[in-house]
Amino acid sequence: MAKEFKIALAGEGGQGVQSVASIIVEAANNAGREALYIPNFGVEQRGGVSIAFVQIADKKIGSPKFKKADIVVALSDRAVRRTAQYVDENTTFVYDKAIKGVEEDIPREANRVLAIPAIDVAKNELHPRVFNVIIMGAVIEATKVIEMKEAKQALEENLGYKFAENPKLRELNFKALERGVELVREALE
Amino acid sequence: MTDKPVKGVKRFFVTGNEVVAWAALAAEADIMYGYPITPQNEIMHYWTRLAPKYGRKFLQTEDEISAGFTTCGGVLSGARAFTATAGPGNTLMQEAMSMAEMMSIPTVVAVMQRGGPSTATVIYSQQEVTMTCFGGNGEGLRIVYSTGSHQELYDYTIKAFNTAWKYRIPTFILGDGYQAKMREPVIMYDPAEKGINMVPTEKILGAPGMPGVDRDPQHLQNTYNTEEELYEVVNQLVERYWKAAPEIVEHEEFQCQDAETIIVAHGVVTRAAQAAVDELRAQGKKVGHFRPITLRPFPKEAMKKAIQNAKEIIVVESAQGQLDKIVKSEIYEAKVPITGYFRPGMGITAEEIVEFINQRG
Repeated sequence: MAKEFKIALAGEGGQGVQSVASIIVEAANNAGREALYIPNFGVEQRGGVSIAFVQIADKKIGSPKFKKADIVVALSDRAVRRTAQYVDENTTFVYDKAIKGVEEDIPREANRVLAIPAIDVAKNELHPRVFNVIIMGAVIEATKVIEMKEAKQALEENLGYKFAENPKLRELNFKALERGVELVREALE
Repeated sequence: MTDKPVKGVKRFFVTGNEVVAWAALAAEADIMYGYPITPQNEIMHYWTRLAPKYGRKFLQTEDEISAGFTTCGGVLSGARAFTATAGPGNTLMQEAMSMAEMMSIPTVVAVMQRGGPSTATVIYSQQEVTMTCFGGNGEGLRIVYSTGSHQELYDYTIKAFNTAWKYRIPTFILGDGYQAKMREPVIMYDPAEKGINMVPTEKILGAPGMPGVDRDPQHLQNTYNTEEELYEVVNQLVERYWKAAPEIVEHEEFQCQDAETIIVAHGVVTRAAQAAVDELRAQGKKVGHFRPITLRPFPKEAMKKAIQNAKEIIVVESAQGQLDKIVKSEIYEAKVPITGYFRPGMGITAEEIVEFINQRG
């Protein structure tokens, strides 16, 4: 099978996993790579675990969804339980340190399990609103699917109108991106 | 004269629903009639957002029965009209599509298949194959293109309008919820710049001139008094359909020539089938893939040729044997055993096709 980078991002509605996925695939597409993104969607209007399925490759991508991911990022307790099915012995499983009561649910078969304090960093160091940008940085560091400058460019394209109003937001978002990268590096040490 | 919606050739990264809306604009569609249903909603949403900028129209109806019939009405008035639906909405539209068959009305319908039976899921399936090909009380005198990528959604939406108006046969673009909702790259273009000319439309009802003097009267009928009358009309429709069929059928083949095992799959599942062929070939297995693009009419002659050296056929689909049933009836004479890998309402990956074939030894 063609080697594709398969990423499953899961969280509660409002945690921003869909927008992170969307920005990552846009960056990959702009960089000339093949990219495919599909959200899970159901009949519910609110609530439920939100999952984004992302694939990035150098050649044309096959099925839109996949059975096992190269990286799974779970951002809530329910997301941890829901995404265990996408994990096998090749998967890097990333979850937030602040999630309580999931010790038994962390998929043991994962190749690597990384607990990162993204919620904590967002709340105490930066701003809760940039939590998903920290996650974006973490995904980029864990996968290397896109370059940092491509990620910044994609943020610029998506949030440029807000940055124009308040340049401090650019600084905050770029800082969040870099902190995400650092959190994964630290977890790998 | 308003601006052309798509100029030159440009790469986009959008959802399949958006692709269909843009393709219909590029194909010079005049009006969309529609009623919302997931997962096709955004075709309507994008159309309503875009259409006014280019002088096109939209009518939201009270349900899909009405959306189907207003599409027929729009076409009869000479408009390049279309609608889009899914699942239970597709069910309701069969009444109107049956009339389109009977009266040779070149309607265009984009179907984004969702789970079935009934409301089921809003997500994905290939369970609307039988209904889209053979729905209604008729003889399946329709053209159904099953797409597998955003590029094909764009290409075949444009093509559907031309096939419909050229042959005066109701035409469907059969997509699915995955194609509707996912984002992937697509190259959009102005059809004229690619040498594709849109088949001109004309008023089927209310054409200029005095009927019987300047032109033949147009007599549209879907009700008949005698068996003989109906029999003659249906025979004419059937004959016309099968005469056009060889020009309409389309398919794709992947390494079928020396293949002992041939995977038959359509729509988005072709992507998994193609990847499975690559993987199984790398393992030294003689596997090929045959993909009908038109499910109706079915590329029967091409398939017969493709399976000449095959020892077995595996039909892979996200339904409980709807493609399988078509394949079996179309290649009845072939002495090749057929096995099904059926996953109704579920996505299918290359890995599971590889596993299924390898387990069979």
